[in-house]
Amino acid sequence: MPIKSYLAHPQEGQKEVLMEALSKIDNCEVIPAENKNLLIVVTDTESQTDDEKVKGSIEAIESLKLLAMVSGFNTPKNN
Amino acid sequence: MQNSLTSRRNFLKKMAAAAAMTAAASMFPGIIFASEQEANLPKGANLDWKKGPCRFCGVGCGILVGVDQGKAVAVKGDPNCEVNKGLLCVKGYHQIMCTQAKDRLTHALVKKNGRYVQTPIDEALDLVANKMKETITKHGKDSVAMYTSGQSTIPEGYVASKLMKGAIGTNNLDCNARLCMASAVAGFLTTFGADEPMGCYEDIDHADYFITWGNNMAEMHPVLFSRMLEQKNRRGAKIIDFATRTTRSSTASNKSILFEPQTDLAVANAICYEIINNGWVNKSFVENHVNFSKGLTNMGYGLEDKFKFSDKPTKIDFESYKKFLEDYTPEKVAKYSKVSVKDIKYLAAIYGDPNKKVVSYWCMGMNQHTRGTWINNLVYNIHLLTGKISQPGNGPFSLTGQPSACGTAREVGTFTHKLPKGVVTNEKHRRLAAKIWNVPYENIPAKPTYHATEMFRAVDRGDIKFIWTQVTNPLVSLPKTSRYRPGMEKESCFVVVSDVFPTPTSDVADVILPASWHIEKSGLYGNSERRTQHWDKMVDGPGETTPDAWMTIEVAKRMGYGDLFPYSEENHVEEIYNEYRQFHEGAKHGMAPLEVLKEESGAIWPYVDGKSTQWRFNAKYDPACSNDKDFHFYGKPDGKAVIWQRPYEPAAESPDTEYPFWLNTGRVIEHWHTGSMTRRIPVLHKAMPAAYVEFHPDDAKKLGVRNGEKIKVSSRRGSCILPASINERGLPTRGQVFVPFFDENMLINDVTLDAFCPISKEPDYKKCAVKVEKA
Amino acid sequence: MKKRLGIISLFVILFIAFITIWNYSYQVGLEEAYIPIENSNPVYAIPSESGVFKRSQYALDYENMPVDANHQRSLTTYYKNRAYYGAPPSIPHPVDEHQNMGGQSCLKCHENGGFTEKFQAYAPVTPHPELVNCKQCHVEQNTQTLFKGGDYASVMAPKAGINNALLGSPPVIPHQIQLRENCLSCHVGPSAPKEIRVSHPERVNCRQCHVLNNKKTTDIGSFIRAEK
Repeated sequence: MPIKSYLAHPQEGQKEVLMEALSKIDNCEVIPAENKNLLIVVTDTESQTDDEKVKGSIEAIESLKLLAMVSGFNTPKNN
Repeated sequence: MQNSLTSRRNFLKKMAAAAAMTAAASMFPGIIFASEQEANLPKGANLDWKKGPCRFCGVGCGILVGVDQGKAVAVKGDPNCEVNKGLLCVKGYHQIMCTQAKDRLTHALVKKNGRYVQTPIDEALDLVANKMKETITKHGKDSVAMYTSGQSTIPEGYVASKLMKGAIGTNNLDCNARLCMASAVAGFLTTFGADEPMGCYEDIDHADYFITWGNNMAEMHPVLFSRMLEQKNRRGAKIIDFATRTTRSSTASNKSILFEPQTDLAVANAICYEIINNGWVNKSFVENHVNFSKGLTNMGYGLEDKFKFSDKPTKIDFESYKKFLEDYTPEKVAKYSKVSVKDIKYLAAIYGDPNKKVVSYWCMGMNQHTRGTWINNLVYNIHLLTGKISQPGNGPFSLTGQPSACGTAREVGTFTHKLPKGVVTNEKHRRLAAKIWNVPYENIPAKPTYHATEMFRAVDRGDIKFIWTQVTNPLVSLPKTSRYRPGMEKESCFVVVSDVFPTPTSDVADVILPASWHIEKSGLYGNSERRTQHWDKMVDGPGETTPDAWMTIEVAKRMGYGDLFPYSEENHVEEIYNEYRQFHEGAKHGMAPLEVLKEESGAIWPYVDGKSTQWRFNAKYDPACSNDKDFHFYGKPDGKAVIWQRPYEPAAESPDTEYPFWLNTGRVIEHWHTGSMTRRIPVLHKAMPAAYVEFHPDDAKKLGVRNGEKIKVSSRRGSCILPASINERGLPTRGQVFVPFFDENMLINDVTLDAFCPISKEPDYKKCAVKVEKA
Repeated sequence: MKKRLGIISLFVILFIAFITIWNYSYQVGLEEAYIPIENSNPVYAIPSESGVFKRSQYALDYENMPVDANHQRSLTTYYKNRAYYGAPPSIPHPVDEHQNMGGQSCLKCHENGGFTEKFQAYAPVTPHPELVNCKQCHVEQNTQTLFKGGDYASVMAPKAGINNALLGSPPVIPHQIQLRENCLSCHVGPSAPKEIRVSHPERVNCRQCHVLNNKKTTDIGSFIRAEK
């Protein structure tokens, strides 16, 4: 059950658009910075394959300029 | 542990998010994720969060109050407020709980035949107005007085000033800020000609050194201290604690330097001596921006009634100032200050190093001082000699105690000598006030009357026949209450007390008026860094509780001044603020419009062209600078600040064989001033249920005193019995005892001395002579 | 000749210098002795105050420490080796050196903590490393049987998660802090019981927001005004 966090840099002036697109994706939480052009994305998925799917759909968003992973955790299923 | 591991997955997610935030913060310093802090709050509660400033101290943290079905149920720090960035202290987090205390004053009480009778508020206000009018007719205008507070809101202070000075025509208005900020004001006016700090809290993010002069910020300004600790941990900034008592702040500091009470004057001069002697003077700054002056010495201590003093400044030159300092070599000063030569030189070297940014912080240790104005001047001297002033991370910063000591007491001017702009002795200032107030210019008397201490002496003498106190509890907070309590109990004076809870002051009242608590009314405060803060009423108060401003207006109307107070009950706060703003128009003190204050978590004045001015007197930041130089101290006619030659003089009363200990008084983190609010908050009361007398372990050993033992502390004025405390909250120096003053059941101010600084008229609560014995 | 004159004048100069210096030091020696009073000023610990800031130099490291879910303690395991709430914990593992009082051999692991392969656990950090006679209070458990059974009181420890007065307000400290003045030693890091691990170790000045609720032995109750 991987949990990962990313820094998402939106295209110029597209922070709101990116925010909206990201919040539509399941298993994905967004925290926007108040004063800078940057978003934090936290994904929380059931399996490795789900994780890759979510990452794929995030990277497909057009208003996203750059996605950088910061940290990842994996927890056993029984938790 | 609401926010800790209730669910591991959630925690991991938070960890992941936190890691990302840390990464983001390293890329974009100063980045804010407000929504995340809000998301940390307990879920499930459907709360309305309402913005306001905190009630309990001069820092002026932004709070959000959670309101559920008309009741305040939660408090959190406002993450969007630049002052505290989401953090509060224990008082702030629990403040709303006091409003639900059982003995809340909900209705007016009028004393009839020695008993308090519940009375409709209209009737009680009729009585107050009639009594005031009758007293004026019988004994003249100067027989009535009002005593307000640094916790009064801006509109409350403004209408009090307008009623007393404009309508009635007496300067019998003073406030409890006289007991805490007057020396700071006098210090600013004598050195810079303009009140209030030039810097702001953002200095903390830039400074290399924080030097705290006789204050305990970890307990008294905890949120600012936490901001300093953060810089210490993350950036390696250093905190140096210079005090007469080892406290929580000392234990958290990089270095703690202790001095003998009152010798801060000498040490400050010794630091200046070292700076000059080592050639650390910023010559071009001093040449361009500084004058040298001296004033009168041997000023006295104001112990006698009707004491009068006015300083006579004389210009001097740098050479004679240098000569004067020869009496203050570190070697000479070390002998009586008990600060080692090494430590004095160490402090001087920090101030003298041109590559280090230094902020000095102080509060009551320097203000509540019989030479309070002087010591304020002396610390400014250090910063002026080195040119470390009015720049990010460099500057002297006088902290305030009360949430609106700046906003109301100092800016609106609820002092006997003050007007909303300027002083009563200045004809131009009187004319401006008369114009805005729409009263004849002759109404405003040109002579100041009673400052706080003298006001209660006048009550005792029978000169004042009617006094109305608002938002304050003088019979716990005045010095030498052993004189002023019997004074107020006298039949000769009619006492009206507006308050939220019964206090030792309301115990002597003839009429008690039930006041709204801060979130039960709208208002404005002004904090230490010149930040004006507005809030809207959040919840309804119980019973017939009424905002203080509205009670003043109602009394004014009943006295026949209705024309001057044309405000509406619903909107009086906004109407008054808009009227008041006219006083400060211009680049030097312009105040932010209400719309801005409602939107933002406060704005710093001078607010010019939609922008707060963070560093005054610095041409880079302050649009009021007009001399085409880097700095312009425009408070003074020639644009130059003043370095004052001020000597060391002893305290009004020093320990002797009969009374061998210094008595120092102060606060604790859990309680706000006289405790009438915070003691009614269960969390705070349980953490700190009663006052105590603190000993140095060596003194305790010598006297055979054990922890918790009952000790009688007595002075020439009175006595007080308290449990001993050894090595607990703080550690006074040898030969000194410390007592917090919040406890109305152990009135330490019966013991203190009402000596004051002759210039500022602020009493010294930190030094008098006592003896201690087992009770 | 010139050389000799040179040498003589050199010695003359040295002699004059000697006389001057000797004279000066004699004169200085005659001055009244002044020994500057070095501020003896030993900062006495105020344990309850200074303890809060102990280990705060590691606060930023704690902030960045990941959680090792497989090896963390819980409050239940925390109280398992305490006879009652507030009792000194017993030593739940064999110790190598039986002769000494503990001291350095205990502090090797318990001063700063860390993972121990042998016990598959993180060593708890002591809040009072300055008290080195460890075995005065902490003893080994060498047997699981009792000398005689008894009706021993159970651990009535304060619970986590119920100590805040208002929704979302900082919880009060529900336990006494004598000998445990250092908050960070138990409330942060991988050895902290998971229920009481704090989410913001970087804040450092813990008692700015978290205050004691049971300073005295009995409940303090609410504030009541003295009867006049």
